[in-house]
Amino acid sequence: MNSSKSQPDLKELQRQMLAWLKAHDPVIKESVTGTEKVPADLRLDIYANAYRYRLIEALEDTFPALNTLLGDDDFFNMGLRYIERYPSQHFSLRFFGHRLADFLAAEDGFKEQKVLSEMAQFEWLLRATFDAAAQPRLSLEDLQNIAPEQWPELTFSFHPSLQRINLSFNVPQLWRAIEQEQPPIDIVEQEYPAGWVIWRRDLRTWYRSMDVDEAWAMDTMQEGENFATICAGVCEWIDEQHAPTRVAGFIQNWINEGLICSVK
Amino acid sequence: MPNKTPQKKYPQLGFGLGLRKEHYQDVIDTRPDVDWFEILTENYLVEGGKPLYFLHQVAEHYPLVMHGVSMNIGNTEPLDRDYLTQVKQLKKSINARWLSDHLCWTGTNGTNAHDLLPLPYTEESINHVVERIEQVQDFLGSRLLIENVSSYISYKQSEMSEWEFLNEIAKRSDCLLLLDINNIYVSAVNHEFDPLNYLNAIDPQQVQQFHLAGHSDYGDYIIDTHDEPVCRAVWELYAQAVERFGETTFMIERDASIPPLAELLDELNFARKIAAAVSTQGINHPQIQNLLENLPIIQTSAAEASEAAAV
Ligand SMILES: [Fe+2]
Repeated sequence: MNSSKSQPDLKELQRQMLAWLKAHDPVIKESVTGTEKVPADLRLDIYANAYRYRLIEALEDTFPALNTLLGDDDFFNMGLRYIERYPSQHFSLRFFGHRLADFLAAEDGFKEQKVLSEMAQFEWLLRATFDAAAQPRLSLEDLQNIAPEQWPELTFSFHPSLQRINLSFNVPQLWRAIEQEQPPIDIVEQEYPAGWVIWRRDLRTWYRSMDVDEAWAMDTMQEGENFATICAGVCEWIDEQHAPTRVAGFIQNWINEGLICSVK
Repeated sequence: MPNKTPQKKYPQLGFGLGLRKEHYQDVIDTRPDVDWFEILTENYLVEGGKPLYFLHQVAEHYPLVMHGVSMNIGNTEPLDRDYLTQVKQLKKSINARWLSDHLCWTGTNGTNAHDLLPLPYTEESINHVVERIEQVQDFLGSRLLIENVSSYISYKQSEMSEWEFLNEIAKRSDCLLLLDINNIYVSAVNHEFDPLNYLNAIDPQQVQQFHLAGHSDYGDYIIDTHDEPVCRAVWELYAQAVERFGETTFMIERDASIPPLAELLDELNFARKIAAAVSTQGINHPQIQNLLENLPIIQTSAAEASEAAAV
């Protein structure tokens, strides 16, 4: 070693240590001492392993059904690739998996099995629902005070925990079988993607599928469109004369399910 | 550099436990005999749902303190203002008595390693960390507690011992210390020093709180896993801490393989017993040895709990 070479300052030392954790860059070894019992290499390995295990543990926690679908070994190796591709940037481990669905949809070896990315997306949304903001719900009585002539203009806002997803595979059924430790069920791809809604009520997470017009109505209402616009839109699927009853029926269900928080 | 005039400590809280989600319902239903709870800050920096719901319920019945892992006080990039803002809001909303984080760095250059990485014990590090603690204390408007971490490496750059480093930072920034007795023990084994020298070097004026925890012993070295009951050697060190630091704020910190609440209460009551014996009889009384030879039978049951979780 060149004796005139200056010692790394704190910033440089941290950069070197992080490069060791992320990519086994050995430069840090020049700054670390070991003992007879525990050499420096072993000491550094403890940190390199802890770095990966802790992040993979966070993924296991957020994506337990994906873990089961892949099996422990493949999940672990998938985790290693994900850590390399998208190192954690958030202060909380809670958000580490936020790009996992995109990663699985794009990476060789995973993108061929589309169900993996869908499962990751589903489990990510379950987590988002779990700790989304709390907000009081609208009741059916609140609606009764509204004059009929005001209905066309009405807009509704949804509970912050609401998440929408369209799934080509029987992901929620797979998830449920895994969660309840039932015998494995077949992975089935449907002809058309189905609309699902996920939300929280009484601290519990709920999810269900929707018909195509209901899913469209929900998405459009979330964008802030009013009752009249939604009635006009659902005519793509049903008779014009039945549209208002159909849409009013959706809204009534959503209120009963605790999905709606306010009306304007 | 002149030291600041030491401020008064926060009022002591007694014997507490880390609040864990496995125990939420039990704590609310049974109101166990725990003087206070410590929460893991990051678990509650979310918008709603179960964690916050239970947290506010517990806050109605127990004093709370906050313990974080993401302040990244030793990092050489600017502090994360967004994080600190969220922390400050949470602290206010639950009326937390104080806030602690670790004397370490957890990531740099935009990457979070989510590990408590040690700093080199240098004058450069001291200056840097003291400035950062002062920034945090100014922002929060209250004194911060910093905790000693377990470590597995030492840097060639280090110019002093860990305890000199810790004391110096506390003195210059007038922050308070959270001494983790298990971490002292883990680092003592890993770096081959006498943990009692460490404990006896720490200035009692600066110490507010203690952690007691378990670890995984690999023979030549120890990994700080916080998933086991407190071991005999750490209980002995704890008795020494009671002797040196007197009435203070102790807690059992279990982060994994969480056993039923009753087992942690047994462990906590054991800590109370030792503290009572040491403060009335003194550390050398045979009763202390007697207690230490009869550790509560927590070992077996915790082993069963972790096996069940692994199946
Ligand atoms: Fe600790």
